[in-house]
Amino acid sequence: MNGTNPDSAIDFFITVYQRREYLYELLIQHFVLSLTAIFITMVIGIATGILILRYKGIRQIILGAVNFLYTIPSIAMFGLFIPLVGIGFVNALVVLVIYGLLPMIRNTYTGLSEVDTMYIDAAKGMGATPSQIFFRIRWPLAFPTILSGFRTMVVMTIALAGLASFIGAGGLGQAIYRGINTNNSSLILAGSISVALLALVTDMIIGFFEKRVRSRKLHSRRNKLFTSFAALFFILIPLLLFIYNSRATRAERSSEIVVASKPTAEQYILGEIIARLIEERTSIPVKRTFGIGGGTSNIHPAMLSGEIDIYPEYTGTAWLFVLKNKKITNPDTLFDKLSDIYNNEYQLSWVTRFGFNNTFTLALPEATALAEGLTSISDIARVSNRFTFGAEFDFFEREDGYPGLSESYSLEFRRVVEIDINLKFNALENKTVDVINAFSTDSRIRQMNLRTLRDDKNYFPAYQAGIVARNETLNKYPELKSLLAKLGNTIDDNTMLMLNYEVEINKKSPERVAADFLKSKGLIK
Amino acid sequence: MVETVIKIAGVSKTYGENKLAVDNVSLSIAKGEFLTIIGPSGCGKTTLLRLINGLADFDSGNILVMNRHMHEWDKVQLRRSIGYVIQNAGLFPHLSVKQNMQFVMSISGIDEDIQEKRAHELADLVEIAVSQLDEFPGSLSGGQQQRVGVARALAMKPQIMLLDEPLGALDNVTRRKIQIGLQKIHNKTGATFVMVTHDLKEAFTLGTRVAIMNKGRIEQFDTPDNIREKPATDWVNQFILDY
Repeated sequence: MNGTNPDSAIDFFITVYQRREYLYELLIQHFVLSLTAIFITMVIGIATGILILRYKGIRQIILGAVNFLYTIPSIAMFGLFIPLVGIGFVNALVVLVIYGLLPMIRNTYTGLSEVDTMYIDAAKGMGATPSQIFFRIRWPLAFPTILSGFRTMVVMTIALAGLASFIGAGGLGQAIYRGINTNNSSLILAGSISVALLALVTDMIIGFFEKRVRSRKLHSRRNKLFTSFAALFFILIPLLLFIYNSRATRAERSSEIVVASKPTAEQYILGEIIARLIEERTSIPVKRTFGIGGGTSNIHPAMLSGEIDIYPEYTGTAWLFVLKNKKITNPDTLFDKLSDIYNNEYQLSWVTRFGFNNTFTLALPEATALAEGLTSISDIARVSNRFTFGAEFDFFEREDGYPGLSESYSLEFRRVVEIDINLKFNALENKTVDVINAFSTDSRIRQMNLRTLRDDKNYFPAYQAGIVARNETLNKYPELKSLLAKLGNTIDDNTMLMLNYEVEINKKSPERVAADFLKSKGLIK
Repeated sequence: MVETVIKIAGVSKTYGENKLAVDNVSLSIAKGEFLTIIGPSGCGKTTLLRLINGLADFDSGNILVMNRHMHEWDKVQLRRSIGYVIQNAGLFPHLSVKQNMQFVMSISGIDEDIQEKRAHELADLVEIAVSQLDEFPGSLSGGQQQRVGVARALAMKPQIMLLDEPLGALDNVTRRKIQIGLQKIHNKTGATFVMVTHDLKEAFTLGTRVAIMNKGRIEQFDTPDNIREKPATDWVNQFILDY
C-alpha cells in the first residue's frame, strides 16, 4: 500500500524535515542510552574478564551464564525485567548491558589468557611484580583482542537500543515502532537509517582507533592525543550525560505526570490529547512514554507501581484482560463495574469515556458486501463456506475471539488464515483472504472502502476508550479530574476513525492531529 | 682466593609426582666466569638456570646467590639484579627497541634521563644503530632481536647474567657473530655469565668452564680442555663423540 510509489522518496525527506526535532530528540535519547550501556558493559565486562582469568573455579560458570543469557530473545529479556525494574531507561540499560557482556567478557578473557607465556616469563624473570606484568605486558598485548570485542559490543548495543522504545525508554526505535504502528513507512525508514548511521559512524571511529593500535603507533604524541579523545568520548561523555539525566529526572520526577500509550496510532493520538490538554491548561510538567510494547500487560503493572500516572484504556480490555472476567454485553454495566473494581482493588480511576467504541468487527470489500447482500455477521454465516477468513494469531486465542464467534454465529469458513496484524489489510486487498477481523475505528476501513458487519448477536464486548488515572495523582492535583472529564463524549466512532485516518493515511503527526482536535473542541487555544 | 658468586649445593627439583628434573646438583660458579651448561634436551639444564633466579623452586639442597641464601632474597629484587636472556629474545612486541632495553629500569623506577642515556650506551655495546631504537621488534632481524635481548638484560649492570639458549634459533653465520659479541660483552662488563646451550661447539668456545648434564645430574664440570682430554664418564665420552 505504502512505500511502493515513486513519491515515497520525497515523502521520506519531507518526513525527516518535518519531524527533525522529534528525530533529533530520539537520536539524543538513543545516544545517551547506548553510551551509558556501553560504558557500564565495558567496566563490568573487563572486570569480569580479569576475574575469571584469575579464578578458574568460576570461569565456566560465568562464561556459561553469559552465553545462556545471550541466547534469550531480546524482546523476552525486556519483558523479563519489567517486574524487577519496571519500564523505561533502567530496564533498557539492564538488558543492553546483559547482552553486551558476552563479547566483552569473552574477548577480555581470551585476549588476556592467550598472551604468550614467553612474554610473561621474560617479564617475571626480569623482576616485574605481578601488577607490572599485568599492566605493562598482559593488558597491552591483549588490548587488540579486547578492543575488537568492545567494537562488537558497541555496534550491537547501538542496534539493540533500537528495541528500547518497546519498554518506553525512547530512542530511535520509537520512530521505527511508531512508523510501523501508524502505517508510516517514511518514519520507519528515518528511524532505521538513523540507527544504522549511528552504529556505522561509531564503528568507523573505533575501527580507525583499532588500526592504529594494531600498527603499534600508539606511542606518538598525536596518537596519545587521539587516545585521550577516544577515552573522553566513551567514558566521560556518557558519564556526564548519565549524571545530568538522572539529576534532571530526580528533580522532575516528584512533580511530573507520566502519560503513557500503547503502540497504536489511536493510542498515540489519545495519549497526546491527554498530555497536551494537561500541559496547556495546568502548570504540571508532563512526561510522555508513548508506544509501550506489549500494551496493557506492561502498562498496567507500571500504573500500579506509580511509574505511569495516566493512560487511555479500553473497557473490554480491562475487563477481560486485566480482571480476567467473563464478558458482559451491556457497555454501561461494564463501565460501572469496572470503575468500582479498579477503584477498590487498584486505587485507579476510570475518569471518563471518550465516547467511541473501538470493538472488533468483521470487514470485507464494499463490492462483495453489495453483491452478496451482507450487512450483519449473521448474513455472512450463510455464505461463509465460500469465504476465506484472515486474522492475527491473537484473535484465535482470546476470550472474545474467533472460537466463540464462530460458535455463536455458526461460521464455517472455507479456510481460516493467521496473518500478521499489520499485513491483514494487504491480504484482503490482494484477495488472499475475503473477510478479516478489524477494529471499528481503523482508518483503513475508510481508505479501502470496506464494509463492517453489524454484530447483531452482540457477541463482541464493548471496547469503549476511557482515561485511567492513579488516584494518588488525582488527589495530588485536584484540578486534573475535572479537566480530564471535559474529554468525555467528545469523540464518536466516526471522529476517531477520521483522526486515525489523518495520522495513518494522511501522514500527519499525532501531535498535530491531537492539537487540531483540541482546538476544534475549544479545549485549548 | 676465587670469589664464588653462585653456590649450588645438593639441589634437587621434582616436577609433579615423580619427574626428577634436577638431581642432587652441586656447582660453585666463580665471579667473572663464563659457565656454559650443556646436555641432551630434557636433561634439566633450563630448570637449573631457572632455580638461580627463583623462577623455579627447589625441593631440597641450598642455593646462595651473591652470598645470600635463596630464602633470604626478595624474589623481585633478586631477579632485578640478575640479567635474564631467553630463547628467541622474547622481546615485548608492543614496546619499541628502546622501551624493551629500558624495561627493567622502568619497572625499577629509574630516572628517565638515566634511562635515556643508558639506552644509548646499550645500543652502542650490542651494536644496534641509534636510529633503530624507536623501531618495534617486529621489524628487526633475528640476530638484531637477540642483541636487543642481551642489551635488555644488561640494562641494570648486573653482576650475573643468565642466558637460556639465546642463540638457538639463529643461522650459523649470525650465531657466530653474536657469540663473538657475547664474549666481548663478557670481557667488558666482567659479569658472571651462565649460559644454557645445546650446541657443544658453542659450549666449548664460549665457556671458561662447562657443565655437562644428563638426566638431572652433572656428569662433568670442568674446563673445555680437561673435558676433551679426560672425559669423566663413558657417557661424556660418547656425548662428545656423537656430536
